[in-house]
Amino acid sequence: MGAYIVRRFLWAILLLLVVSFLTFVIFDVFPSADPAVLRAGRNATPALIHQIRINLGLNKPFYIQYWRYLKGLALHFDLGYSYYNSESVRSEIFSRLPATISLTVGAFIVWMLIGLPVGIVSAIRPRTLLDRTLMGGALVAISAPVYFIGLLALFLFANGTGLVNWFDGAGSYVPISQSPATWFGSLILPWFTLAAAFAAFYARMTRGNLIDTMGEDYIRTARAKGLRESLVIGKHGLRAALTPIVTMAGMDVGLLLGGAILTETVFNIPGVGRYAYEAITNSDLPAIQGTVLFGAFFIVFANLVVDILYAFLDPRVTYG
Amino acid sequence: MRRRTAVIAGLAGALALVAAGCGGGGHSNATGGVQGASHTLVTSGAKKGGTITVLSEGDIDHLDPGAAYYQFTYAITYVTQRPLLAYKPNSIQPVPDLAASMPTVSNGGKTITVHIKHGIKFSPPVNREVTSADVKYAIERGFDAAVGNGYATAYFGVIKGAPTKIGNTVPNIAGIQTPNKYTVVFQLSKPSGIFVSALQEPLTAPVPADYARKFDKGTQSSYGNHQVATGPYMVQNNAQGVITGYSPGKSIVLVRNPNFNPKTDWRPAYADKIVFKEGFDPSVATRQILAGQGDVNGDFPPPPAELKSILSNSSQKSELEFTPAAGNRFVALNTAKPPFNNKYVRMAVAYVLDKNAMRLTRGGPIDGKIATHFIDPSFGSQGFNQAGGFTFDPFPSANNSGDVAKAEAMLKKAGYKSGKFTGPQVTMVADNSPPGSNTAQVVANSLEKVGFKVKTISVQHSAMYTRFCGVPKNTPNICPNVGWLADFHEPQADLDANFNGKNILPANNVNWSLLNDPTINALMAKAEVELNPEKRWADWGHIDDLITESAAAIPWIWEDSPTLYSTKVTHASELWNGGEPDVSFMSVK
Repeated sequence: MGAYIVRRFLWAILLLLVVSFLTFVIFDVFPSADPAVLRAGRNATPALIHQIRINLGLNKPFYIQYWRYLKGLALHFDLGYSYYNSESVRSEIFSRLPATISLTVGAFIVWMLIGLPVGIVSAIRPRTLLDRTLMGGALVAISAPVYFIGLLALFLFANGTGLVNWFDGAGSYVPISQSPATWFGSLILPWFTLAAAFAAFYARMTRGNLIDTMGEDYIRTARAKGLRESLVIGKHGLRAALTPIVTMAGMDVGLLLGGAILTETVFNIPGVGRYAYEAITNSDLPAIQGTVLFGAFFIVFANLVVDILYAFLDPRVTYG
Repeated sequence: MRRRTAVIAGLAGALALVAAGCGGGGHSNATGGVQGASHTLVTSGAKKGGTITVLSEGDIDHLDPGAAYYQFTYAITYVTQRPLLAYKPNSIQPVPDLAASMPTVSNGGKTITVHIKHGIKFSPPVNREVTSADVKYAIERGFDAAVGNGYATAYFGVIKGAPTKIGNTVPNIAGIQTPNKYTVVFQLSKPSGIFVSALQEPLTAPVPADYARKFDKGTQSSYGNHQVATGPYMVQNNAQGVITGYSPGKSIVLVRNPNFNPKTDWRPAYADKIVFKEGFDPSVATRQILAGQGDVNGDFPPPPAELKSILSNSSQKSELEFTPAAGNRFVALNTAKPPFNNKYVRMAVAYVLDKNAMRLTRGGPIDGKIATHFIDPSFGSQGFNQAGGFTFDPFPSANNSGDVAKAEAMLKKAGYKSGKFTGPQVTMVADNSPPGSNTAQVVANSLEKVGFKVKTISVQHSAMYTRFCGVPKNTPNICPNVGWLADFHEPQADLDANFNGKNILPANNVNWSLLNDPTINALMAKAEVELNPEKRWADWGHIDDLITESAAAIPWIWEDSPTLYSTKVTHASELWNGGEPDVSFMSVK
């Protein structure tokens, strides 16, 4: 197990290096805006642009810029300095991380609490009216863009902007340390909005996996031994059916910790996703680089955790 | 300058017109604006106290008054800082602010003397009275790359001794003299018709050298995060002077400046606190303002669908104001290479463009009036009327939908006997997202009516400027998504950068047509040194007509900016600043 984790850890570092390099190359090769020119203002002379380029380190070849970036990252965990608002990218990301974690964890709980039961119910009552209704609803939830669901939620249920004033609306987020009640209230709509598509997807996946599993020989054996149906489903069927769900959950949580861009944008939650959106809009390479790396780190980390969890979920899995 | 949506342009000084889908004007006219609420400054019912909340989509560009160069930022800069001159909200005429009176011009326009008011003090932790030396330092630091000012060389480069190149230190400019604590004398190397107007730029707001110099050292000044104020408000800070009221992309909190002396200022400063909340979706923020959860929009216009809904509701309509954006959008044709180095080919394009369809891509009449020349209606008698006002239109067409017959006639004059363009494919670099991409599609469709084959390269808006249209060696035949906002209401600020041949730069070029017409250049050189304003505005009006007739660029819309207020506050839209709310004149009812 130890050797396996070390090996995976090294692979993770390599992967992050590749991701950061690709981001740099994409920014350098493709026609994005020139940050020096953007900062230079109107009628700026070539001398001023050149000076800004020197100040930002943009006068060096991209591989030197990249090397400096890596050095700063490795030695000081320095993610660079934002071109746009002259702030440290690391401090910007870390100041926004609690909001993103709040959104992700809450949404994860919501989608698991909805998605798994719906999937199980559909699986044990396949092709019934209930199954078709639930899966039809899931299809709608998967198809509707988060942006649309978010706006719909705000215009239906948010204080001030909604038809009914049930929940806090956009821009109401406060850190949990400031007011736990307001924090909770401000995240109800974002949690459900973000969770909608995931819950639907997980419901469909759970249903499919469970139906497949319930057709296995060992399930028939369990039933033949006289076990209660709830035990057959819960202990034998669900455990096997959940393995791919755990994989997906790990990946999705990792992905969202890197920033739920659309949800954070619609609900004006000052998280990493909103920061990434602003960075892209402003051609702010250090901020783009920082948010991409940060997102990649969470995905890689989540993958590692999931792989380790496999051993506990599925006795057939061992680590050599 | 002012950005009204996040999809367009990035930073301050992003070279271009950055306003997006805005509202119609307060009156109908030949070019088709829509009826809307009138532009008013409401002071009745104003009272002291309370908090005003401004909602915005994006962030300001820079807190530092020496670097600020964006209309939304100015809504903060002009209530926390006091330049030599400034504007009252419903005016385009600068009036004394830090200055005790309007500047005196002598020596044939080469000496400008400004006396500053006594008793204006910096906010904590500096706490001392402002002197002329603080104005001198403020302007000088604009020439230091660490500050990153976008217009110092354009307007203040005419001062004797001003560096020709931006350097790495704050220079000592001999032409800025401070004979006593309350007098600043500018010695110019040549007369400048607009120098006095330029004294309203925030670069002239005083900066205390004894306090700021340590923050200006290095490659990037950090004075913005330690700045002190002279206006009625200041960005919230701590006892050490570190700004605590600014969270980039999240919020900006302004509180009263304890050292502000209201007897020295004409700003009423009713509210106790101003909160700028950032990061909102424009649709959501619009509804929140209507619901009273915010008081006014900052950097975005209410989207067209919401605007139409508001205009159809009489009570909501009265909370909406339209202000000319002080700019224009145009299609730039590259005059430096074929086929648009031929005037008749350009004129064919000017005739065939379907301006009405182009305006529809931004929301239709609600977005503004069809432009027929460059100086926009907000200039009024300061150039707009002299250029012919609403009646000057050298390329008219029915319903502004283009005139194919006239275009074909022009192409025949250019040597294309069939009246159809038969030359090689032309390239166009355009936005890769709406509404700019849709506008570009209309331009391409219009050109195809007279035989042009258009190859469109779609890129991010800021990349369109900084990699293509703003770099002469990469400039395509057509740049359909360019535009300009004047820094202030002098026609020179509207036309010179875009069309004077001397302004063609190897990078960051804003003469997108690469127009280098000796006649126009000579007329501009003459108008730039004209000190008589009436004559100067007439000269620039004539220049506007010549540029329009040359068809080097084809103006197609004069946009209006809608400002939406909640019912809880009084209105104060800045006519000089494209409709930004003047929070020092607004009040909680």
